[in-house]
Amino acid sequence: MFALDIQAVNADWTSAKWLLWIALYLSFGLLAPWAMTRAWAHQHQSALRPRLSQIFQNGELGLVGLMLAISVIWDLQKSEYNSYTVALGSVFLALIGIMAGWVWIEAFGRRSIGIRFRPDRAWRDSRNLALLVFSVALVTEILLDRFAKVTAL
Amino acid sequence: MRLADPAGTLAYLSLIFGLLLVSCPMAFPRMIVASWQNASLTPIMILFTVSVNLGLYLTVAHRCSAKPGIIASACLGSTPVFVLASLNFVLQATISHTVSGNLPNALARVNEEIVAHTYFALIAAIFGPFLLIRLGQQLHKHDS
Repeated sequence: MFALDIQAVNADWTSAKWLLWIALYLSFGLLAPWAMTRAWAHQHQSALRPRLSQIFQNGELGLVGLMLAISVIWDLQKSEYNSYTVALGSVFLALIGIMAGWVWIEAFGRRSIGIRFRPDRAWRDSRNLALLVFSVALVTEILLDRFAKVTAL
Repeated sequence: MRLADPAGTLAYLSLIFGLLLVSCPMAFPRMIVASWQNASLTPIMILFTVSVNLGLYLTVAHRCSAKPGIIASACLGSTPVFVLASLNFVLQATISHTVSGNLPNALARVNEEIVAHTYFALIAAIFGPFLLIRLGQQLHKHDS
C-alpha cells in the first residue's frame, strides 16, 4: 500500500519551504523586536539592554503564537488534504492559539484591575505555549510540504 | 495545573515527530502506515499518550508539592482513550472519502492522510486532558 515515490517525497533540505518559513518567523517574530529595541536604545543613547524575557514580559509571545496559528490554519485551508484532516488540524491549532493568546489577555486583565501580576509567570507561560504553537505549526508546514509533493505527482 | 506546564514537553515531542519526518522521510511514515494496517497504531498511541500524560501530571504535582487528585488522574487516563478512539473513526471516514474520490495517486494521498492524522491525534490526546483539567479548575474556582 505504501506507494510513495522516494525521490518526490523525500524532504529535501534545500527545497523545503518550511525552512524559509522558520527563518521568517524567528527573524520577524523574535529577533526583529529585540534588535529594534536595542537600536532604539542606541539612538536615544540609553544603557537599556533588555533580554527577550523583558521585552515579552507581559505575555506578548502568546499573541505572536495566536497570529502564527492563524497563518497555518490559512495554509491548511488552502491545502488539498481531506476536509476531515483540515478540520482536525484547524481546530487543534485554533485551540492552542487561543490558549496562547489567553496568557496575554490574563496578563493585561491583571495589570488593568490591579490583581497580583507576575511578569516571570506571564513570560514562562507565553514562552511555553508559543513554543507549542511554533512546533505544531512547523510540523504542519512539513506535512503540507510533503502532501503538496504527493499531489503534484 | 497551568497549561504551560505540559506545553513545553508537548512542544519537544512535536519537534521530535517533525525531526523524524525530515530525517527518515520514508521509514518513519512507512512505520506509521504499517502499524495502522496491523491495527496496532491506536493501542500503541493510547499506551504512549496515557504514559506521557501521567508522567507529566506526576512531575507537575511533585514540582508544586501537590497531592495528585483522583478525578484528574481518571481524566488523564480516560480522555486520551476517548479522543484516540473517536479520531480513529474520523480517520476511517477520511480514508473512505479519499479512496472513493477517484483522485490521482490515491494510495500515496491515503498514506499522507494517515501520517497527518496520527500527528494531530497524538498532540490532541496529550493536550486535551490537561485542557479539561484546566477548565475544571476554572469552573471550580468560580463555584467556590
